[in-house]
Amino acid sequence: MSHAWNKLQASAERLRGVHLRDLLQSEQRFEKLSFNAAHLLLDLSRQRIDEQVFAELLELANERQLDKAIKSLLRGEIVNPTENRPALHSALRMPAGTELIVDKANLVDGVQATLERMTDFVDKIHAGQWRGYSGRAISEVVNIGVGGSDLGPLMVCEALHEFKPQAADGVNIHFVSSMDGSQLSNLLLELNPETTLFVLSSKSFGTLDTLANAATAIDWLVERSGLNRELLIQQHFIGVTASPEKAIAWGIAEDSILKFWDWTGGRYSLWSGIGLPIALTIGMQGFRDLLAGAHAMDSHFAQASYEENLPILLALMGIWNINFQDIHAHAILPYDGRLAHLPAYLEQLEMESNGKSVKHDGELSDQRTCPILWGEIGPNAQHAFYQLLHQGTEPVMSDFIVPARRYEGRAAGLLEQHQLALANCLAQARVLALGDAALKDDSERPPWQRYAGNQPSSVILMETLNPASLGSLIALYEHKVYVQAVIWGINPFDQWGVELGKKVANDLIEALRQPVSGSYDQATDGLLAAIQQLQEEN
Amino acid sequence: MKISVWGNELSAWIARAQLASYGNTVFIESGESEPVASQLRSEPGLLGALQNATLHERLIVDTGAAINAEVHWLSMAPDESDAALELVGRIAKNTQGPLLVVNQSNFGVGMCDRMQALLQSELQQVVYLPDLLQAGQAMQQFVNPEALLIGTDNPTAQARLIALLRPFHLGQRTIQQMSCREAEFVKYAITGLLALRLGYINEMAGLCDQLNLDMDAIRRGMSTDKRIGTHYLQPSCGFGGLQFTQYLKGLAELLSGRQGSVLIDTVLAQNEVNKEWPFRTLWQHYNCDLRGRKVAIWGAAFKAGVADIDNAPALRVIDALLAQGAEICVHDPEAMQALSERYAGVSGIALATNAYEACTGAVAMLLLTDWPEYGSPDFPRLKQTMNQPLIIDGRNLYDPQRVQQEGFIYYTRGRNCLSQDPS
Repeated sequence: MSHAWNKLQASAERLRGVHLRDLLQSEQRFEKLSFNAAHLLLDLSRQRIDEQVFAELLELANERQLDKAIKSLLRGEIVNPTENRPALHSALRMPAGTELIVDKANLVDGVQATLERMTDFVDKIHAGQWRGYSGRAISEVVNIGVGGSDLGPLMVCEALHEFKPQAADGVNIHFVSSMDGSQLSNLLLELNPETTLFVLSSKSFGTLDTLANAATAIDWLVERSGLNRELLIQQHFIGVTASPEKAIAWGIAEDSILKFWDWTGGRYSLWSGIGLPIALTIGMQGFRDLLAGAHAMDSHFAQASYEENLPILLALMGIWNINFQDIHAHAILPYDGRLAHLPAYLEQLEMESNGKSVKHDGELSDQRTCPILWGEIGPNAQHAFYQLLHQGTEPVMSDFIVPARRYEGRAAGLLEQHQLALANCLAQARVLALGDAALKDDSERPPWQRYAGNQPSSVILMETLNPASLGSLIALYEHKVYVQAVIWGINPFDQWGVELGKKVANDLIEALRQPVSGSYDQATDGLLAAIQQLQEEN
Repeated sequence: MKISVWGNELSAWIARAQLASYGNTVFIESGESEPVASQLRSEPGLLGALQNATLHERLIVDTGAAINAEVHWLSMAPDESDAALELVGRIAKNTQGPLLVVNQSNFGVGMCDRMQALLQSELQQVVYLPDLLQAGQAMQQFVNPEALLIGTDNPTAQARLIALLRPFHLGQRTIQQMSCREAEFVKYAITGLLALRLGYINEMAGLCDQLNLDMDAIRRGMSTDKRIGTHYLQPSCGFGGLQFTQYLKGLAELLSGRQGSVLIDTVLAQNEVNKEWPFRTLWQHYNCDLRGRKVAIWGAAFKAGVADIDNAPALRVIDALLAQGAEICVHDPEAMQALSERYAGVSGIALATNAYEACTGAVAMLLLTDWPEYGSPDFPRLKQTMNQPLIIDGRNLYDPQRVQQEGFIYYTRGRNCLSQDPS
């Protein structure tokens, strides 16, 4: 154990039994523990820390040479050693005219070239000049992708829908991900094949889920149009991939491919061509604003000192809670319905990145790493799982995310609804921290009406929710994940745990066609036999 | 009579020309005594009449006289309503005695009442005279209206307007009097019904192609019903024109805003789809690949007899072809100037002064306006000029059998059953 780690353990011991309501008494706590950068205010005053812990956490960051690690990330050094590549999502948001030389090439040139091609696609579709097989203009765009090719674009499209420019009025975006075809089969009932374009988003262009949905989409086009598959793929498919050669072999026209690079991880890819549905929803200017917001956070992350660096501080609070407060549940609670998909997005970002137990050196980690994340729109969750937060046995850390301003220039009733959401956000953060002490009236109550409090939380206050502030918010979490990975000594950019399941499933497809008993474990063999029997009965 | 005519709409220039031709002294506040826009200048008979009136000093540009006239005729553009109110206010301030304001502008329902409120006394009246002129025949229609629709509740004002227009009705035409608001609305109602008929017949044409029926037979059958009659039943690749579309959009807004009806919105949207029928037909014929193909277009004006391309089907077709990388050559007897202005600096489109020249090396000819001169072309010459003998007729101008006998592949609206399979 390192020096700083030991100190933090001692501090945890020292603060055992100190309640958040007492910590909140310290002078100027909010001023000392709230931080502003890149469109965001981060309030950490409801974390179970005091000034000493704060200093020790910074010492830990220093000890782990975080500054070097951040430089490695942003300069394009190999930070993903198991796949021998850098992780350069930050390069995707670098403005035109800047430079990032990796392997003697300026990556920004390629990034900007893809953005230019994306602009052509968006302009053509918005102008009603992307034509289907009958010559009618495309009005429905279906994104077929899963994981990073789905969650990011879906989350941002939902969040920023009201920033849709007039040019995008005639275009509707749909998302299809599930391998079993549930979403697609329903959607195809409503769509007209003449006016539907599919965006096939897959980094590897080998994702089974996505290709299965694409095959169903092609069958539908062929059946409804009577035309051949080649022609239909040329007119009705855009491919977004890091493996363009596979997309071309599959039949997609070379002109209809948006390329990205293997140094962009799937869950970090909404900034690349994978963001096409976002650009189709909010226009290229909106998309560039989103990139600019993220870039502002990148610059802050690169330049700000530890003690005011938002991603580092947010990460350190997580480290404190997980490794020194023994909290392994993390709730994401946006108080804005537009951020409904943010919890699902962050679930992937954090758990797929840091759900690891083997360190860089191949040794098993002797510390806990990524907690379980889950979440829901705050006001709705109040009627669902907040009971557990208030009176359950699990310690939970929470992130409250809310814009200060909304509905400007809209009806008074809507403005009132936003105030209501804000009031509830503040109330819940307060009650979770203080428990009974939040009540003005301290008369005797039965045990089932008592609140222990002491549940820590962070509040991220956005001025308004817009492309720039959302870009900054997402980049905040991306970098937070990286900082935690550096401290834990794990690789946040691979996902070998996901690969194994894919392989075994490929195997089992054969087994479902022709089960041979005794091939697998008893449970699998038993279920294969049961399924076969049920399918034969029909 | 001394009359000032305000505005730059077609109806303003027609009123100037004809009121002056019949002996009135007509004033223009400023500018030229002729319109600048090519689509106005090419209106049959208009320029000659204006020049003649100027020569005989019955059409005079004079700021002072303009404001002092006893009759003010307003034919201003829909987006000039603020300017119109300001003008009426200015006229009212300037005039003590009787005043007649004849409004022909499309400002929506209720604008005349707002103008009337600016006037000083009972002797000063606003009347509404719906602009029922059709481009291409407007000079004739002005002097020989089928009926007079007059919007006013004031008998004196009505009598004054009837007197003013006496040379054009000679007491022999039906006069329909209604309130200003009703008169302001009546053109919306007329335009809406015409658009519904056109939209309907185009839908029928599409369906005929699906069902393998000859739309022309269906149309003839429909016309035998007196309730339907023969007008506005010819399928085509959509309607256009600036004014027609403005009234329709206004009506669509009223319908959706006041009672949630999307009827006219739907007609408008379907019309845009219809306008692209020639493009879609070509696109399908060439298997979704028009890159580098040379395409000839005959006719860009929104209808024959005008130089106006506003909302014309040709624009949508040209834009679609350009987006797909086709090489276009357009011919139109009147609309060349309007086209060259709109597509100035755009590559991929050329204009030809000769219709056959436009077809040189073309893989298709798209006929989009039914100009009389396209009615009986020299088919052998056309075939020789073109690279592929393919005609896509958006106006049902030709007899399918004849064109095919000449060796052409021929597509037309609602009559595909008469086309032989090109294969």
